Amino acid sequence: METLKRSSRVLAVVAVLAIVAAACGGGEEQAPPTGEPSARGGTYRTAIEDFGFTNGFDPTGEYLGTAWGLYSDLLTRTLVTYNHMAGVPGDEIFPDIAESWETSADGLTWTFHLKSGVQFGPPLDRDVTSADVAYAFQRINTKSLIAQYGNYYAGVIEGLTGDAKSQDTPISGISTPDDSTIVFTLSKPTGDFLYRLAMPATAPVPEEVGKCFTKAGDYGRFVISSGPYMIKGQDALDTSSCNAMEPISGFDPDKFMVFVRNPNYDPATDSPEVRSANLDGVVITIDTNTDDIFNKIQSGELDGSWASLPPKPLEQQYLTNPDLTDNFHINSGDRTWYITMNLLVPPFDDVNVRKAVNFVIDKSALQKAWGGPAHGEIATMVEPPEVLPETAEMDPYPSPNHEGDVQAAQDAMSQSTYDSNGDGECDADVCNNVLLVSRNIPPWTDMNPILSENLAEIGINVRIRELETSTAYTTIQTADNLIPIAANAGWGKDYADPYGFDFFIFNSAGIACSGQVNYSGVGMTKDQAAECGPKVLAAWNAATDNGKTPLPSVDEKMDECYGLLDEARTTCWVELDTYLMEEAVPWVPYIWATVFTVTADSVTHWEFDQFSGALSWAHIAVDNGIDPNSVPVG
Amino acid sequence: MSQVTDTITEPELDAGVEVSAAVIGRSPWELFWRRFRKDKVALLGVAFIAILVLLAITAPLIARFVVHHGPNQLNQDLTNEIGLPAVGPSGNYWFGVDTLGRDMFVRTIYGARTSLTVAFFATGLAVGIGIILGTLAGFFGGWVDTGVSRAIDIVLSLPILLLAIGIAAACSITAAGCLGGLIQPGISLVVAIIALFSWPYIGRIVRGQVLSIREKEFVEASRSLGFTNAGIMFREILPNLAAPVIVYTTLIIPNNILFEAALSFLGVGIPQTTPSWGRMIADAAAGQLYTAAWWMLLFPGVALVFTTLAFNLVGDGLRDALDPRMGG
Repeated sequence: METLKRSSRVLAVVAVLAIVAAACGGGEEQAPPTGEPSARGGTYRTAIEDFGFTNGFDPTGEYLGTAWGLYSDLLTRTLVTYNHMAGVPGDEIFPDIAESWETSADGLTWTFHLKSGVQFGPPLDRDVTSADVAYAFQRINTKSLIAQYGNYYAGVIEGLTGDAKSQDTPISGISTPDDSTIVFTLSKPTGDFLYRLAMPATAPVPEEVGKCFTKAGDYGRFVISSGPYMIKGQDALDTSSCNAMEPISGFDPDKFMVFVRNPNYDPATDSPEVRSANLDGVVITIDTNTDDIFNKIQSGELDGSWASLPPKPLEQQYLTNPDLTDNFHINSGDRTWYITMNLLVPPFDDVNVRKAVNFVIDKSALQKAWGGPAHGEIATMVEPPEVLPETAEMDPYPSPNHEGDVQAAQDAMSQSTYDSNGDGECDADVCNNVLLVSRNIPPWTDMNPILSENLAEIGINVRIRELETSTAYTTIQTADNLIPIAANAGWGKDYADPYGFDFFIFNSAGIACSGQVNYSGVGMTKDQAAECGPKVLAAWNAATDNGKTPLPSVDEKMDECYGLLDEARTTCWVELDTYLMEEAVPWVPYIWATVFTVTADSVTHWEFDQFSGALSWAHIAVDNGIDPNSVPVG
Repeated sequence: MSQVTDTITEPELDAGVEVSAAVIGRSPWELFWRRFRKDKVALLGVAFIAILVLLAITAPLIARFVVHHGPNQLNQDLTNEIGLPAVGPSGNYWFGVDTLGRDMFVRTIYGARTSLTVAFFATGLAVGIGIILGTLAGFFGGWVDTGVSRAIDIVLSLPILLLAIGIAAACSITAAGCLGGLIQPGISLVVAIIALFSWPYIGRIVRGQVLSIREKEFVEASRSLGFTNAGIMFREILPNLAAPVIVYTTLIIPNNILFEAALSFLGVGIPQTTPSWGRMIADAAAGQLYTAAWWMLLFPGVALVFTTLAFNLVGDGLRDALDPRMGG
């Protein structure tokens, strides 16, 4: 009947419109999943004592965990990414620039299909293409740019060797048949390849800007955004020529970093599960005075901490005052803090000495210096418990309450040639005035006297050098310095697989003359030593008796574990880590640190990014309604 | 014979009384001592310094036999779960403990050793350099004088603390330190820096004194008797420098104590294995620990203030006693 037909047609149209409206709702404000009132807007203001960037914030080589959070949550998108949430779900892979991908049957060819509409921020104002992704890999391949974790790709992607002289050199194993397709050809099946594509060095770099920066670290002040936020002032960049380009005004490595929304970001190309992008902006200022940072959080001038430890009297308050429970957050850090010993430098070239050090260190005191159990579990093996739970309960150097076992330490030391009279204390000259690199901020300032005292019990008299965070890292990363022992370092997983933790710090691929992260020198070959200069070569010759007793190495075992899956893989890694701690002994791990963040009342929604080990910029929300452009900096 | 003497007469007697006492001549040192003795505040300073020096010298004995704790003896039982000191001033620990359970009383008197050692060595070095260069400049004049005077001007115009921090920091970053291992963070670097910035004060004073003494008759007399330059400098000039040098040395010491404390406070002074008041104050201030443990700040702070005060008072007293005209 006519009337019915007409009304049913109207109903149909209404229904379709309703469905379309619901489906197209992605670009507008959506209520957060918890049903709270809109969390959008405001600026998260924080401060830190020192950025501590390992490569000047140049994504090709930048290896600092907190920097990774800035890239992945705010600034640069990668083919795939994480959801920037806490816990095990935070370690799962999600599409980012790529909407889908296929792998060939032999696992050697990976084809990614890029979304359309992912754009670089102003002044570039154009779509991200597959060529931009390929260019990022060409930068990783360039030797002078010192891609600190380049070995996740070198030797894995065909044609990527890490030795290219220029970033213009194309890589044979990466092809871009069109703007939205990129194909990787691998030289061997790599089960965790997706994890490697979530790391910030692979984020697209526009060639028109990138080509101007050929030295490691230089691009760090010019990073072009492909994410929801950009560094303030990026739109004022003069890209007409390399000479005309001035560093983006919103980032001053000594003073501040300001993020504002990227006007070219289209939320429809992203997922609220991955990035809520609640904030209007982020303002990070440098404040060398830790107490000042936390005073400002309490007064409301800052909205929370980022990577600073609260002063202990304040922490005492947070832990004991029930009104403050919502203002602090303890999350698992997936990070091991450790003392590293240099296999090339006496007396640590003797495994008996390294075992003695493992026995003598009072880890319970070190944990207390960190602030007690709230700041982490005492570490007994190299991998954090969430990355390899099977080794978490093992303890090759036990002592009552982890307070150190002086007797066992002296027994181990007495077996060393450096203890000529077998009394358990080193009496060789090399045990006097041993340089120990550490940091000059809490908790290291409390840890240092403990280390001094402990090592003195086995006759090692250390001269402690307290340095700033980045200086300490650079010092031990320079092979030529031959630093005997250092306590400043921590290591977080690159991704949630033991390979993503162990690879660079224990494989010989992590050895370099500058930017070395395998500080102990595990598996260092003669050629590598020679490349770093006569001093290093001489030390290598002395430590290995001219090559007759090579340094302990895990390269072969790691290759074995590389291809395995499931149970077999886990067993392989357990064996490798057991060998490391019982026979190679490059480290004394002492704490699996939690991340302790303090927030002000302005923070209405808290989230933790398990990937980078810090607060989740992607999901956090504040209600201070502040415009990031209005916050005074510098 | 080369020393200027002064005489003092007995107080005037009543007219009717016979004057029979002779005029008593006193040497300058006796006069100095009489004047100094009257300055009660300065004597108090001397007493404090004497006690401090005694404590500093006997510190290891006190640590071992009196309180039974060493300065670097860690005691985790005396700190609470998150590492805050749990014991304040009390029976066993007169000044309480710090965040590592170390005895603050022992650390404070060991800190006196550090402060006094650095102050004396640095000051001694500065005075040595100052006397040598000042005497040469004043005595020979001409080129030597110009050179030394310009050097004094330059050093006095340098931003001391910034430069000290810069040097100390720059020489920390590599394993070898600076100048191929010659300059490394530690006591010797601190002493060298302090001496480097203090010698001009003495140098200037000495130069001025030498310039005036050089013109005096007894020097002319010595010259006409055939003494060499070196002989004149050693026999006639240097002994007359004793008074001003002693005074200014004593006045420089508190400055140097504070300088060392400042460097240690900033983390570029004495390495943390040796207790230093400056470092202890910095540790107490870091993380606002003093809000939870006031004793960590009070005792080193008070010690520093009183020591500096004592030396200043003694220096003032010496200056007034040795030459009342010099005071100002």
